[in-house]
Formats: sequence, structure tokens, C-alpha cells
Amino acid sequence: MQTAEFLIEIGQYYLMAGGVVAALFLVIGIDRIEPSSRGSYAFRPLLIPGICLIWPLVIYRWVVLEKHGEARR
Amino acid sequence: MSVQYTPVIWNRNKIFYDAVLLIAVALYLYIFIRVGPMFEDVTKPIDGAILRMRAFGSCAFLMLTVILCIGPLARLDRRFLPLLYNRRHFGVMTAGIAAVHANYVLTWYFNFSPTDRYVALLSSNTNYGQLLGFPFEALGIAALIVLFVLAATSHDFWLSFLGAPIWKALHMSIYAAYAFVVLHVALGALQGPADPIFTSVVAASVVLVCGLHFATGRMEARRERGEQTAKASLQEAGWVVAGELEEIDDDCAKVVTLTEDERVAIFKYDGKLSAITNACAHQNGPLGEGKVLWGCITCPWHGYQYNLADGRAPEPFTEKISTYRLKLIGSTVLLDPNPQPPGTYVEPVEIGEAA
Ligand code: HEM
Ligand code: FES
Repeated sequence: MQTAEFLIEIGQYYLMAGGVVAALFLVIGIDRIEPSSRGSYAFRPLLIPGICLIWPLVIYRWVVLEKHGEARR
Repeated sequence: MSVQYTPVIWNRNKIFYDAVLLIAVALYLYIFIRVGPMFEDVTKPIDGAILRMRAFGSCAFLMLTVILCIGPLARLDRRFLPLLYNRRHFGVMTAGIAAVHANYVLTWYFNFSPTDRYVALLSSNTNYGQLLGFPFEALGIAALIVLFVLAATSHDFWLSFLGAPIWKALHMSIYAAYAFVVLHVALGALQGPADPIFTSVVAASVVLVCGLHFATGRMEARRERGEQTAKASLQEAGWVVAGELEEIDDDCAKVVTLTEDERVAIFKYDGKLSAITNACAHQNGPLGEGKVLWGCITCPWHGYQYNLADGRAPEPFTEKISTYRLKLIGSTVLLDPNPQPPGTYVEPVEIGEAA
């Protein structure tokens, strides 16, 4: 029982952290690193679930693309 | 700058595809829920929620099976390619159907216990050490998480943002999801009272998915070997490997250096390949840096033009340059280093499927 509660709690915190990353990324990050998304907003909410689920990977790619730009695509 | 992103790009084919898919899913669920009860054991009637849970679970399983078959089928026979184009909506729908299945489990089996449903789901069975009575729900959860991640990262944005290698690696985990689901079913539903239809459907699915992948793997290995031999024999006959097809951009050339003063420009245009000498008949301008228009190359220096297929300047001009023979083996471009006499027509190589 305790393990289950613990796992669920971890899952909740993970998704919450994802929500924070999603907010930051969709407001700041995406325009900086993805030229095709500049000026288009309708598709952004669609990305929220994905960011919540794989936010560590999102941060990693964000950092890589900030550092190396288009070259690393 | 590329095209801007939109939530979903629709076109006629996709709408048709999605409509067929939705109708098929609805039909399946309807039949399962309506007709299924007629076959059940009258002494052990199933109530509605369990029946619907099973309908959605088996529907998701079958959809996953179809998704995994589309890839190899399209490689075996190009007529299946249209199925491949819209696999993404198929996948998203599968994740949705699987989620409904899981939700029935949560609201039915665990709704009446005082503990939190999610806690109850995770803690009701923790016999991870045993095969019989294994907590197969955990396998279902694992599969569902994978399906969610894949559905959530199916937008074009993700392919571009993560980069093709990471995106592809991520989406290969669909196979892990399938394995989880097969185990989820094998250790769960199939352990209950024997149901020959369902058991054989699951077995047939596994055989089909594995068989198709095995068959395409063999076919591709055989084709690869064939290409290797073809390449080797051409090279024996003196042909040189000029490079890979994807090295050449559309309407551009790759320049291959044969000797110090013999360079060949290999052009990709209109789905074809043609090779001419890189030296313009006028003052040796670099034709490989020129522009292709209507199958003609324009020299970047003073604008002389030549047909790529025969190396002749269009009427009324009379300049001629050497052409070269090409062969495409798989995606490798091979070049006969012996120039054809200036103005000789050489049939352009159709790129076709390898493109
Ligand atoms: C949170 C995730 C999931 C949970 C908790 C869950 C739970 C269950 C449960 C309790 C059963 C009943 C087993 C029995 O009758 O003994 C079941 C059956 C089944 N599940 Fe899941 N499942 C999950 C995810 C999935 C997914 C993702 C799929 C497929 C893509 C799936 C496919 C099936 C199938 C095909 C059955 C058998 C249905 C039948 O008896 O006809 N499940 N699942
Ligand atoms: S060198 Fe090609 S046009 Fe003059």
C-alpha cells in the first residue's frame, strides 16, 4: 500500500513538474528554437501532454538547440 | 523558413481514412457489446461494465496489431502504402480506446473500495515474483503509458524538435507496448476460463506480427545481398561508386572527380538522374553549380545551356558536351567513367521507389 501511494505521489510530482516545463517552453522556449512555430499558436496546447510526459527530454533538446542552433537538427 | 505548424493538417484522404477507422471501431464495439453476450455462459452472466471493458481492451489490442502490421505490409507491397500515411491518427485513436478500457477497470473494479482507486489498482496484487496470478494490470499500465507518450508526441513538431534519431527511437517503443499488452492479456484474461475464440485471436495476432516482420526482414536482407552483388559486378566492369542518392538535392548536382581534369556532374531533376561533364564547352565553366530548368542546365558563368539527357545545347545552338552512363543500385549511384562522345543521348535513370 505504501509503495503504491509513493509511486502515485512521484507520478503526480513528475507531471506537475512537466506542467511547469510546458508553460516555460511554450511561452519562451519554442519561439527561440523552432522557427516554424513563430506566429502560430493554435497547435501549442496540443504539445502540453507530450511535454508533461517527457519533460526531461524536452529540457535536454531545448538546451542542445539553444547551444548549437539549427546545426544539431 | 518552413511551413507553419497547425494543430492537424487535414486533407480529403485523411478524412476518409479517419472516417473508415471510426466506423470500423464503432462497429466492432457495437458488435462486441451486442452480440458478445449471446455466446456467454448463462450460468455466469457478465455485467455491462465488464463487457464494455473487454470490448475496448480487445479493440485496442486489435488496433495495435494492425498498426504493427502496416509497416511491414507497406514494405512488402506498395499498395499498402496509403495505410501508412495516416498511421498517426490510428495510433492516437488506439491510445484513446485503451484509456477507455483502463478507465472501465478503474471505475468498475476499484470504485467501491475505500482506498483511492489508483492506489488500489497498484496495491491490490503485488505478486511480481510469480507467473500465475502475476499482476498483469501493471503490464497494462506500462503499455498505456507508452501509448500515451507516443500519441502525445505524434505531432510533426516533435519530429522536428527531437530530431529524427531520437524521435524514431522513442517511437520504436511501440514494440515494447505490444509486448506489454500481449503479456497483459496472456497473464490476465487468458488465465481465466478458457475462451477459444479470444485465445486464438491473440495467438494469431502474435504470429501475424512476428511473421510479417520476419518476412520483411528476410526480403530486405535478400534485396541487400542482390544489390551488393550487382554493385560488385559493376565495379568489376570498371564502374565507380559516385555516392548515395540522398547526397544529391533536387535540381542540383554532385560533382565527382575522376582525374585531375575530368569531373562529372550528376544531376537529380524531375525524379531522374543524368550525368554530364562538369566542364562547359564555352570556357570550362562549372556546370555542376548551374541551375536546372526544364531538363536543361544553365552554365553559371555565361549562361550556355545544355540538355542533361544528351549534352546538346538547345536549337539553334550547336555546342555539345560529353554525357556519362549511370546506374542506380538500391540507393547507390554508380558511374561509368568512360565519357560518351559529346552529344550522345543517355537515357536518364528513373529514381522511382528508392527516392
Ligand atoms: C492502466 C492500464 C490497464 C489496466 C489497469 C488494465 C486492466 C485490465 C483488466 C483488469 C483486465 C481483465 C482481465 C481479465 O478478464 O481477467 C484487462 C483485460 C484486457 N486488457 Fe487491459 N488494462 C490496461 C491497459 C490495457 C491496454 C493498454 C491494452 C491494449 C492496448 C489492454 C488490453 C486488454 C485486453 C485485450 C484484455 C482482455 C479483454 C477480454 O477479456 O476480452 N489493456 N485489462
Ligand atoms: S563557361 Fe559556360 S557559359 Fe561560359
